[in-house]
Amino acid sequence: MKYTRPLVALLVPVLALPALAQETPKSMVATYSALADGILALRRTEAEFVRALLDSHLQTAKAHVKEGQWQAAAAQIALFANEGDNAIGGIRKRLLEGGHHHNAAGEEQGIYEPGYVIVTKAAKQKALAASSALRQAQTDEARKQAWQQFETVAQELLGKS
Amino acid sequence: MNFRAGSFLTLVGAGLGAWQGGSPSAVPVSSFHFVDRSASAGLRLPTWCGRPEKPHILESGGTGLALFDCDGDRDLDLYLVNGWRLQGNQVVERGRNLLYRNRGDGTFEDITASAGAGDERWGTGVATGDVDGDGDIDLFASNFGPDALYLNRGDCTFTTLPDGPGIDGWSTGATLFDADRDGDLDLYVAAYIDCTLDQVLDAQPTLDWHGLKVMLGPFGLEGKGNRYFENLGGGRFRDATEAAGLVDAGLYYSFSVAAADFDGDRDLDLYVANDSNPNYLYQNDGRGHFQEVGLWSGAALDENGLAQAGMGQAIGDVDGDGDPDLLVTNFSQDQSTLYANLGQLMFEDVTRRWGLREPTFMPLSWGTILADFDLDRDLDLFIANGHIYPQADRAGIEGIRFKQPNLLLAKEGGRFTDLSQQSGPGLAVIESSRGVAAGDLDGDGDVDLVVANVDAPPTLLRNDSPPRGAWLLVDAPGALRVSAQVDGIQLVRDFVAGGSYLSASDPCFHFGLGPVDWVDQLMLLYPDGTLKTLRHVAVNQRLRIPR
Repeated sequence: MKYTRPLVALLVPVLALPALAQETPKSMVATYSALADGILALRRTEAEFVRALLDSHLQTAKAHVKEGQWQAAAAQIALFANEGDNAIGGIRKRLLEGGHHHNAAGEEQGIYEPGYVIVTKAAKQKALAASSALRQAQTDEARKQAWQQFETVAQELLGKS
Repeated sequence: MNFRAGSFLTLVGAGLGAWQGGSPSAVPVSSFHFVDRSASAGLRLPTWCGRPEKPHILESGGTGLALFDCDGDRDLDLYLVNGWRLQGNQVVERGRNLLYRNRGDGTFEDITASAGAGDERWGTGVATGDVDGDGDIDLFASNFGPDALYLNRGDCTFTTLPDGPGIDGWSTGATLFDADRDGDLDLYVAAYIDCTLDQVLDAQPTLDWHGLKVMLGPFGLEGKGNRYFENLGGGRFRDATEAAGLVDAGLYYSFSVAAADFDGDRDLDLYVANDSNPNYLYQNDGRGHFQEVGLWSGAALDENGLAQAGMGQAIGDVDGDGDPDLLVTNFSQDQSTLYANLGQLMFEDVTRRWGLREPTFMPLSWGTILADFDLDRDLDLFIANGHIYPQADRAGIEGIRFKQPNLLLAKEGGRFTDLSQQSGPGLAVIESSRGVAAGDLDGDGDVDLVVANVDAPPTLLRNDSPPRGAWLLVDAPGALRVSAQVDGIQLVRDFVAGGSYLSASDPCFHFGLGPVDWVDQLMLLYPDGTLKTLRHVAVNQRLRIPR
């Protein structure tokens, strides 16, 4: 509600000038077009941000694997699977409550969870399974297998490993 | 009584009682028999929760209750949380929380007026514990509005702690537990959404659900943060949410809360069931500092990696491997989820394997209890049910009504079997149930239940099941875990503070022992590592073991 007032203030004089205008004034079209650029740029930036977030979990997990810190690596994989921790989840909840979706069609088809940007449901399940397997693994072979399972998922989503 | 001799006849009797015609092989045999004794016990007053049509989500949450010994006479008294009754956009009754003293003869006396704990705010839940260390049980009442801490004088009369800890808003589950192992009880309070009384009073059903208009939420409503209060002693608390690492990062919609030692490191961890969001599991480092590990522990999501609508929870060693497992109740058309504790704080969703998906899928489930109702050594499961939409009665969906039957499931081998229909008239009571608390109300050694219902009196389910064994009730304040060895089998019961749904059960450790005449060895573990061992313990008794 509080955001509509400046918008109304902006539109009223513009609409008032050409009293009998048959088409939308060019200045309004240009303004809306600029707004669209901004809106779409924001969406792209959000997607890139989430991609960077996922990449940071991937890189941190890799570092833990290098150090042999398997539990910590599994935790990072779980965060990757969930597209962030609970703090990020809280922001996602706010965006959803405001009606903001990235993959609304995919959500309806059950491909994405509501509000998820990059990680699909299937990818999430696979990554969580890898995290669980890594936590429970007793041998290097089992750990390697779990890690590879996750790397495949990450590669599919981010296009690199 | 020697149960080795009596058990066969008992089982035959139970089987015959359950078979009511038709093919005996088609009807599961139940050893349970529960009867509703609420009216004869004097529990006739309803607990309110808004208007009949429930246009605001606050009106759907219902209330909890506590079973605790408020006067030290060794039987369990009842504290029943009460909400408000609305009509149109008016408050027509500010329901007082009710305190009933157990007379010990199967009836209860309403002592609300003299007790001083008849909180008139819109009540939601309750937590119990000896907050001031004077040897009696105090009460924390969570409310829509300011919460309240009631200190027991020891005789079932209470004083309010001025400037006590709590949340001003819609708080839900709470637990009193010694988070930092300094010997006193700290407090964690969950919260649901941020809303005002005016918003509640003015609410209209606006959400489309199966062609009907129902209440909005929780999506679209702003979450409210859970808080943690450290007990500083002398009746002083400080908000230590941030310092303890318990910031509610997602502002998720939280309901039930319980503290238990999930990882066996002798401190109490915290589990918070969140509606429509991942659940929280906070690992305690032993000094009262917590880390949220729900997502990677496997206890935040179901087997498909999806967040569910967490309502209530029960904690106990379901699979008999010595560590506490976790059952979380969820929304209708989604199963309650059983998480097996794999050790080292790892959990696995074993709902399907344990036969729980089918019986729990259609009901909307809330309070839940894991207890050995038939004294055969393993933990059975009770779940209280009821839909949030009264409009469900008009939706035409099979199996979905506002008032729903509760569930009773027996553990048989590695699965649960639904025996709700074969377990006596108590399980035939149909209300929109919410909180449930457990304890031995009549002193006969088995676990009875009291269920809080929405806009209705509670249901007192007296357990009249033919005993399949002996029992032992261990009253051991401060103990973290008690294990009983019988016939070479180790039965483990963990201390759990809180749980169910906005409710508090008797904190004593209850054992069904099967057909034995004594417990070979009883071991009590305390947070400082002290291990107390008692040998050759007589059965069928309530055993008080001071710290």
